[in-house]
Amino acid sequence: MLVKDKMHSPVTVLPLTATLGEAFAIFEAQGFRHLPVVDQGRVVGILSDRDLHFATSALCASPQGAEAPVTLAMSPHVLTADPLDPVEDAARIMREHKIGCLPVMDGSELVGILTGMDLLDALVSLTGVTKPSSRMEVALADQPGELARLTAFLADRHVNIHSILTSPDPNGSVRTVLRLDSNQIRPLADAMRAANFEILWPVPKPWPH
Amino acid sequence: MAALIHRPEYARYDFGPEHPFTPARLEMVLDLLRSLGHAVAPVPAPAATREEILTVHAEAYVAMMEALDRGGPREAGVSHGLGTPDNPLFPDMDQATRWLVGGTLHGARLLLQGTERRVLQLGGGLHHAQRDRAEGFCLYNDLAVGIKALVDGGLRVAYLDVDLHHGDGVQNLFYSDPRVLTISLHESGHYLYPGTGHIQEMGSGAAMGTSVNIPLEPFTGAADYLEAFEMVVPKALAWFRPQALVVQAGADAHFSDPLGDLALTTQAFEGLFRRILSLAETHAENRLLVTLGGGYEAQVVARVWTLLYLVMRDLPLPTELPQAWLDRWQHLLGPDLAPALHDPNPAFPEPQGQEARTRRNRDIVARLLDSIEPHWSSRS
Repeated sequence: MLVKDKMHSPVTVLPLTATLGEAFAIFEAQGFRHLPVVDQGRVVGILSDRDLHFATSALCASPQGAEAPVTLAMSPHVLTADPLDPVEDAARIMREHKIGCLPVMDGSELVGILTGMDLLDALVSLTGVTKPSSRMEVALADQPGELARLTAFLADRHVNIHSILTSPDPNGSVRTVLRLDSNQIRPLADAMRAANFEILWPVPKPWPH
Repeated sequence: MAALIHRPEYARYDFGPEHPFTPARLEMVLDLLRSLGHAVAPVPAPAATREEILTVHAEAYVAMMEALDRGGPREAGVSHGLGTPDNPLFPDMDQATRWLVGGTLHGARLLLQGTERRVLQLGGGLHHAQRDRAEGFCLYNDLAVGIKALVDGGLRVAYLDVDLHHGDGVQNLFYSDPRVLTISLHESGHYLYPGTGHIQEMGSGAAMGTSVNIPLEPFTGAADYLEAFEMVVPKALAWFRPQALVVQAGADAHFSDPLGDLALTTQAFEGLFRRILSLAETHAENRLLVTLGGGYEAQVVARVWTLLYLVMRDLPLPTELPQAWLDRWQHLLGPDLAPALHDPNPAFPEPQGQEARTRRNRDIVARLLDSIEPHWSSRS
């Protein structure tokens, strides 16, 4: 999943000469939270709705008015992304710098913007949670071939996998979360236990049946 | 009295011998009722027409189902959720599903005409079917077609889903329709298919507050379940003031069901059904349409749906099950079934962690009410 798959395009921008009042009107009408500020095609700043609120708040020492230029409130230090960057790299950069968006540049052209909301969309889509499905958790041994054994078992039963996520467990195993296109994962889990898989969910019924 | 809707063609909705959603479940119930000495005379409803299916489903999906019946390419079904282990293809599936939809729709029309106040559709309850795809054993959404007919007939409709699984198809089809209140109690989507039915799903736009979800912890038993029901359902109905109540009465929330983890007993189902009858009288202008639904343990569904029929018709409940019936169905019932209508009491040892489970169920109900009641009071 690449930045270009999740970014918003085209991008609404502010010219360098825009005022805070003009920026406010766009935030209010469009529901955006970030606006790139552009000078002759170059992104020279980002104005967030938070920047605007702080700069104009009656609570600050010298509140700006509607006629003040956006340059007084914007952040002039802009990090950008390439459309072909993987989304996880973009996510890491945004997290490390604690920023809410990345303008996306193709060469010298501003082609999109990637926001925190877009990353949430990516997370939702990566986990397969938007499709009717069942969630299964398996603890796999941390060795070659284990994931293949798991997926082969499911393939033999024609069970489609919507998503598969793995993460290291403190006890040394690999916790594997699957979203399966099946309403019948309890009988499936029983069969998997019989084939020596360690199934963390679903668990057997705690009573005889 | 209550009308019973069923016809032999319902048996054509059959995904094959390996599939849990088998039509034998319906035959077992009818046979048990007759073995108990009841002269069961079901109303045979016509199949739903193409136009009636199209009141809730996408034309492209219906056309694809029809094409499959005519022997069209099987691959065409995949993008509509067909041909999977949950929804395998079978001959004449479009027509078979229309019989079930027609039954539920006929039940809705009996309520509209005023000829019946209580209707039991012995079949249907295909609550997962979506506008343009099959999901979770459900090809067309008979409940939604019935509800749509009631709404088009001028009634405000409440839908109550006590199946083990979230009633996602019905909820989605009426998510922005303020004339339909959907309420679903189910094992939490964090643990069970289809993964939805969270408390935050409350409807959209003018219909905000008209989707109500009560997700319960795995291994939740009768006491917690009925408490959550009482905390939410009467309040929601009192606010919405429906003119008809449509109920999906799946039996898979029973503790023996192989596909999930809720832990109701037959006694809990009896109490639930009696409560639903009284709520229909006091809160839904005494118009009640009940369908079946999920339920994958033969001995459970036979007993629970027999109970449902007897309760809906105000008939006395037998203690024993007839030996002849047990013998006839032993291949599905298993050899160890006690010949009693109700489960033993206690039915199973209390699972560990009951205190924490009760607390979490109460917390989720409290959080649901905190979120949804402001929408109710602002729209009342």
